Amino acid sequence: MRRSPGSPAHWPRHVIMIVVCFLMLVPFYWVIKTSLTGENIYAWPPRIIPVDPHLFNYVDVWYMIPFARYLLNSVIVTAMAIAGSLLFNVAAGYALTRHFPGRRWIVVLLLSCMLIPFQATIIPAYLVTSWLGVLDTWLGVALPLLSTIICIFIFKASFEAVPPSLIDAARVDGLGEWRIVTRILLPLSKSAIATNVILTFIWSWNSFLWPLIAIRSPDMQTLPLGLARFLSVMEDTTGALFAFVVLVLIPGLAIFLMAQKEFIRGLTSGATKG
Amino acid sequence: MRWRALAHRFVAVPLALLAIAVAWNIYIAFNDHGIIEGEVRDKAGAPVVGATVIFFERNFIYYEEKQRATTDAQGIYRFTDMKTHIGQLEARTADGRKSERRQLRLWFRSQDTEVAPLIVETPRA
Repeated sequence: MRRSPGSPAHWPRHVIMIVVCFLMLVPFYWVIKTSLTGENIYAWPPRIIPVDPHLFNYVDVWYMIPFARYLLNSVIVTAMAIAGSLLFNVAAGYALTRHFPGRRWIVVLLLSCMLIPFQATIIPAYLVTSWLGVLDTWLGVALPLLSTIICIFIFKASFEAVPPSLIDAARVDGLGEWRIVTRILLPLSKSAIATNVILTFIWSWNSFLWPLIAIRSPDMQTLPLGLARFLSVMEDTTGALFAFVVLVLIPGLAIFLMAQKEFIRGLTSGATKG
Repeated sequence: MRWRALAHRFVAVPLALLAIAVAWNIYIAFNDHGIIEGEVRDKAGAPVVGATVIFFERNFIYYEEKQRATTDAQGIYRFTDMKTHIGQLEARTADGRKSERRQLRLWFRSQDTEVAPLIVETPRA
């Protein structure tokens, strides 16, 4: 007999999950608390409750470095990466659902490429970006994220879950391939779209190594580079540094919290059969 | 149907953030004349006339003197066009009394601010 989730037999499990949740949230709490107090993170004994909290460290961050400019750069680069990745990943994902000679080899090639870390491809990526003439531009920073293999396979799995009869019916009605994708498949793949958006957002927003290489002028720096610059020019920065970290974290957390349902559904769709 | 779309969290949250940002910037636009004013008093609470109030602005490492003002007959001083958001204030009198340095932190650059009275007293030897 199946027990309901609220039955006393489930309580120990819930208690364990609450404790684990608490442990996962402690670092976030500590970062926010330090950003509000600026207290020494090595102080002993550590204070659990913030003493004299204030928001002025956030004001310092806003004015002592060109935060608005870094934010604008990060937002534009991330928007370009999301738009480009949606376009290219959808196209590639749909192509892999069709039957054509060598499809299996292409799938194997893509899967094997996932084993290569990005750091190993930095030099060719730099040379390609330089050859295209987009170094030190927003497009140049967004370029490596315009298509990602994981998201291609997420779209492939999502498109394959759509009944083939639906696509056949659309084709009989005279729809071309592109309209089948935009009118039939994409409306049925909202979870995959949300997953693609969130993953690309997180990767682009947190990207440090590639912008460090691709960007030369200070005006083009993104938030992670700004964080490194902030550390190098400021003294006595504990509170402001943690405030900076919170400001960098907030957009990612907000987007994840808004779309977490679609995100989880997108990652698990196609994981089980039946 | 269109109004229901506005209630969706992907629309409502960015719109709420945008509204907060616009409201905040409107507030700043009406309160950013860079006026810092306050009063200098002695320990008995009487206004101090002719005291010099010094504003120290924070650079990356330390506080450096930026501007001076003198109190009027009511002991009131006034700085104008202060394009900063953090600094310290100190009052000094001709007879050697001075106040403690008061930390001043503002919510935005050039915020119009009224500072609590600075109390001058004879420094300890």
